[in-house]
Amino acid sequence: MAHDPTPFERFIQGIIPENPVYRQLLGLCPTLAVTNNMQSAITMAGAVTFVLLCANIITSLIRNLLKPHLRIVIFTLTIATFVTLVDRFLAAYMYTMSKSLGPYIPLIIVNCIIIARCEVCASKQDVFTAASDAIGQSMGFALALASIAGVREILGTGMFFGIRVLPAAWPDWVIMALPPGAFLTFGLLLGVVNFIESKRAEKKIHKG
Amino acid sequence: MNYIADIFLIAISATLINNFVLYYFVGICPFIGVSKNVSMAVGMGCAVTFVMTIAAFLSWTITKFILIPGAPVSSFIAGIFLPAEQAAHIDLTILSYIVYIFAISSSVQFVEMYVRKFFPALYKSFGVFLPLITTNCAILFACLTIMSHVAGVDNPADAWDLAKSLILAIFGGVGFTIAIVIMAGIREELDFCDIPKAFQGAAITLIVAGILAMAFMGFTGVDSGLGNMIKTSDTTAVNAIPVETNHQQIKV
Amino acid sequence: MEQMKNNFIVQAWLVLILALCFGSSIASINLALSPIIKTNKINETMEKVPELVLGINGAAKLAISGKKLDINSQMVTIERKNSRISYKVFQAINEEEVSGWVVKASGQGYADKIELLIGLDKTMESITGLFVLEQKETPGLGSKISQWDFRKQFVSKKTKSPIIPTKTGASASNEIDAITGATISSRSVCSIVNVAAKNVRTALAKTPFKINQEK
Repeated sequence: MAHDPTPFERFIQGIIPENPVYRQLLGLCPTLAVTNNMQSAITMAGAVTFVLLCANIITSLIRNLLKPHLRIVIFTLTIATFVTLVDRFLAAYMYTMSKSLGPYIPLIIVNCIIIARCEVCASKQDVFTAASDAIGQSMGFALALASIAGVREILGTGMFFGIRVLPAAWPDWVIMALPPGAFLTFGLLLGVVNFIESKRAEKKIHKG
Repeated sequence: MNYIADIFLIAISATLINNFVLYYFVGICPFIGVSKNVSMAVGMGCAVTFVMTIAAFLSWTITKFILIPGAPVSSFIAGIFLPAEQAAHIDLTILSYIVYIFAISSSVQFVEMYVRKFFPALYKSFGVFLPLITTNCAILFACLTIMSHVAGVDNPADAWDLAKSLILAIFGGVGFTIAIVIMAGIREELDFCDIPKAFQGAAITLIVAGILAMAFMGFTGVDSGLGNMIKTSDTTAVNAIPVETNHQQIKV
Repeated sequence: MEQMKNNFIVQAWLVLILALCFGSSIASINLALSPIIKTNKINETMEKVPELVLGINGAAKLAISGKKLDINSQMVTIERKNSRISYKVFQAINEEEVSGWVVKASGQGYADKIELLIGLDKTMESITGLFVLEQKETPGLGSKISQWDFRKQFVSKKTKSPIIPTKTGASASNEIDAITGATISSRSVCSIVNVAAKNVRTALAKTPFKINQEK
């Protein structure tokens, strides 16, 4: 196989080119569920960052001892432990946020992004690469969540991070704050990202 | 009578009103990935329902008998090492997420073995999707809902029993199947439409899902209306039982 | 390395050691954080009690004077022929005498469950405050039940006669203005308040509030 991606490459790839939500279509459950306001979106992104980073580091440390059949069990155990830690931490120090995020924090356990990164990167490369991969992917995830949450919160309630940004005359598009709005916003933004990507790929072909 | 009404309302709510896919956003990955034709969608829906029921059974039993404070098994084992006072309050709910995910993995393994042994053709057509059900958010979500109704209630008398938990799991799976089959039917028709290149695939599926979610929003309030209709309002005399639970004397 | 991978003993030890490490980290976090979480849960309700019983001005006065309220809580279960409902009832005591009650009641709203904290005066004959703990009503419409404009209508209403929401300007003493476009949410809140006040008042008249005095 050709050379494995370097840590820096992993980091940069994770933000936009291999964005977990827009390009790989992983981890869609929290993307749709917690993006009706910016605060929840950023909290969720922070939680996923912590779990992904810790899981990648631990997996990378024990990568030479993993037998193929056992690795899924080990990944699951690691991720479930860190999610429990994050959940208790949020319940202790950010109680109202923990209540409004509800069951979506424990659902990080079955978030495909973390298992995919452990499988693709952490179980094959060293700790530093795994860590930069985790940070890159988490930043991509945060970017994706923030973009959707921004649109939904501004259009749906006229507020951004709880502060009113649109004039009072704006009739709130309440549908944006409800489930259909999540699907529609994400679908439209995904179409836009696909369009930009295809234009970029065309330019590369013309250049090369 | 009110018990049957409760069960009926839980079933209706899980299937139509608080549909797992279109309201709670769980199970989106197979929803977008597997819904390309109706027969595969039906198969996926049935598999998820089956696994969800087994996982719900396991999680309710483990939560009720091992995890919550005062549960029989944990009190018994703790009673060997600790004085009885302390043993009765052992609270193991911190382990619930780990326990649930392993219960789900085992259910999926069990179902996989069963299907491979008795329905080999079905097993072949499923391919890689059967093990993937482990990472299906819907099943863990069902377990978490059951946990919140067993361990997270103020009054232990309000906790859900096994029947209510299984009904939630079965009808949550039915709701998931309905949503994924409708989506598969629509996508089969979309194949004949002229969709812009950027929107083909996941993007148009999501937009269609948004419109579907809007349609399902029409069911809101059906359960409260039905509830008022079915539940017999009682005008017999009040018989109060002050149940003395936590007496907290707290200065605020 | 291949040898290591195929060695089951190594695998078994790996899982065991990981389980031990993870188990101990979870246990220590639980030990450290669960008192904080318990306090958060209790405070969520408790810190609303002065405001609900004494009103905003009364609670501010109490805070300035440095005095504190003693709060006793009890679970009261009402049993009828066909159903049982439970309420958490808080008794607020200021300087040795009962200054009011707070009842935590819940019921079905338009979309999902609505959880309320109802403040009552010491005889439970009039409402002194209302707070919405949890609601999942339609944002922008039913969610307005959490706003002060809607809740303040309940203050000083008598509990003897049921409170009714009207769409056309409240006139009688037991009427309140429903929220435009959210009739069902307004109606649900009124019915939860009416039922809870009646049940708890009747129940505690029969079986008085027992305080477990720990001497």
